[in-house]
Amino acid sequence: MNKIFIAATSKVAAADLPSARLGPRFARLDLQSQMALLAVESLGVDFQEFSPDRVAVCLAAKIGSLSTDVEFWNGRDGAGGPSPTLFAYTLPSAAIGEIAIRHKLTGPNLCFVDDDKILLSEAADLIQRGEADYCVCVSCAVVTAAAAELIQIPPETGACAVFLQRGEGLRELTEFDRDMKSLCANFCRPKISG
Amino acid sequence: MREPPANFPTPVAIAGCGATTAVGRGVEALRSALRANSSGLRACEKFDSPRFQSKITGAIPQTGNDNDNPAWQFATDALEEARSSALEILKKIPAERIGLVLSTTKANIAALERISENRLCSETARRHLQGNFLAADLAAAHGARGPVQCVSVACVSGLVAIQQAAKLIQRGAADAVFVVGVDTLSNFVMAGFTALKAIDPNGCRPFDKDRCGLSPGEAGAAIVLVGQASSLCSSKSQLDRQDACPTIKILGWGGSNDANHLTGPSRDGSGLARAIRSALKMSKLLPAEIDYINAHGTGTPYNDAMESIALKNVFGEACPPFSGAKGMLGHTLGAAGVVETILCAIAMQEKFLPGTPRLNTIAEGVPAGLVREPRSVAKINRVLKLNTGFGGANGALILGHE
Repeated sequence: MNKIFIAATSKVAAADLPSARLGPRFARLDLQSQMALLAVESLGVDFQEFSPDRVAVCLAAKIGSLSTDVEFWNGRDGAGGPSPTLFAYTLPSAAIGEIAIRHKLTGPNLCFVDDDKILLSEAADLIQRGEADYCVCVSCAVVTAAAAELIQIPPETGACAVFLQRGEGLRELTEFDRDMKSLCANFCRPKISG
Repeated sequence: MREPPANFPTPVAIAGCGATTAVGRGVEALRSALRANSSGLRACEKFDSPRFQSKITGAIPQTGNDNDNPAWQFATDALEEARSSALEILKKIPAERIGLVLSTTKANIAALERISENRLCSETARRHLQGNFLAADLAAAHGARGPVQCVSVACVSGLVAIQQAAKLIQRGAADAVFVVGVDTLSNFVMAGFTALKAIDPNGCRPFDKDRCGLSPGEAGAAIVLVGQASSLCSSKSQLDRQDACPTIKILGWGGSNDANHLTGPSRDGSGLARAIRSALKMSKLLPAEIDYINAHGTGTPYNDAMESIALKNVFGEACPPFSGAKGMLGHTLGAAGVVETILCAIAMQEKFLPGTPRLNTIAEGVPAGLVREPRSVAKINRVLKLNTGFGGANGALILGHE
């Protein structure tokens, strides 16, 4: 069995959004996609070094797209009716599409509606099986005030990302690496092999 | 007999199925509609409003109840049928070794509508706004104490859920997994597709020259997947009326992303073609060994054109027979991959090629293999199931029948 390594990590909060410089399209994305893109950007990985079809993108969306669902639904009676742009983001996996478009990543995708406790092991499995050589793993917890009220949990906005690969990295991924937030807080410098 | 691929150590097979769809409740209703090439699309008065592009949908025939949790109901109905049909096999597996993978895009979105309109909504219905809680509660209610996942990759979710379930079995985390697909029709979904101008006012017509959009649908669908350990092989599944062991197996899969546009497919079909090639490679099959393809076939101009190009890209002029089921069921979103895989399993077991309901005139550019009406065949042992979705996702799954 090939060893899988953590090659880069990142962690971002809502306070990081105003300083994001990700082009004019960025402002049109929903909050979850913005957080996910910013987390991936913060990995510092140059994805052009890799064959795009060998890079998978895996996402854990803590409450799916519920924050955007509420925003879309609350706008249904506004001028012009419900927003077609926002509707596209009422899918939990929409952020994967945005990451794929920005970085031209054409490998397989996986998205869980849940916290991130199985994300890294499932991503590693994709690599172990040869379905991908690299994997961008993103965990998003985007709970707006309106969504928080709906499902009666505290609001929060945060995202973290981990880049997995074979061969080398910051350290080997183990079965105990289940809490992405803690993991990402412990590493900050990327080390990538092309 | 063909050897399983090297990276596929444990064969995984379909032991039971259940479905609640626009053509009625139960797999038998699906089987009858498939044989008759009939459509379950009809006018649904609930959506008779200028706010929506069409009132023609693939709605499940109404029960008359004002249900605040239709996702739970449809999923439960389908799962009960699937469990019942796989009862003999499931009796041999402890609950701790049974997992559940839920495929959904919107879970119980009906609760959001009800709460925003100050209509009665139970705490359970509210809780099931979150797909992971819906999955956990389905598992608890149906005796699955093994691993539970909620997968949501747009309209490819169903195929990804089947893959995830197969992986759980292959790596020894479970001996059986319930794959459940569910999405329900709602004002939310109808308003969204109307905003995108994606609905055919007259009902969808996949691969037709006059096609102009999809028809939203709803479904609950469930598949019991089991590892083919010898101890399980003395039981029949409902799909295997004469055999001593479930014989429809998962041979391989492939996934890709177009990296092109959030709501539109790539025009050249290269992403879907890549997913198909990955599935063929994992299954160790050549394109010529595929007997039938069940297409995504939404009925939107761009999707069906892209899919046609992708099929020609992989299969050239010798495209195997293919058809699409969304003229029968509508687009059931997160349930589509699961319910359409059940259709494929029925066709394989009964040796016939499903047709393409509501097709009138085949569009230009569609490969020659499009099946208009169902017809019997001598063999249909290797089937390719395709789905694509928003966010550029593509999925391909290959089933085998020994």
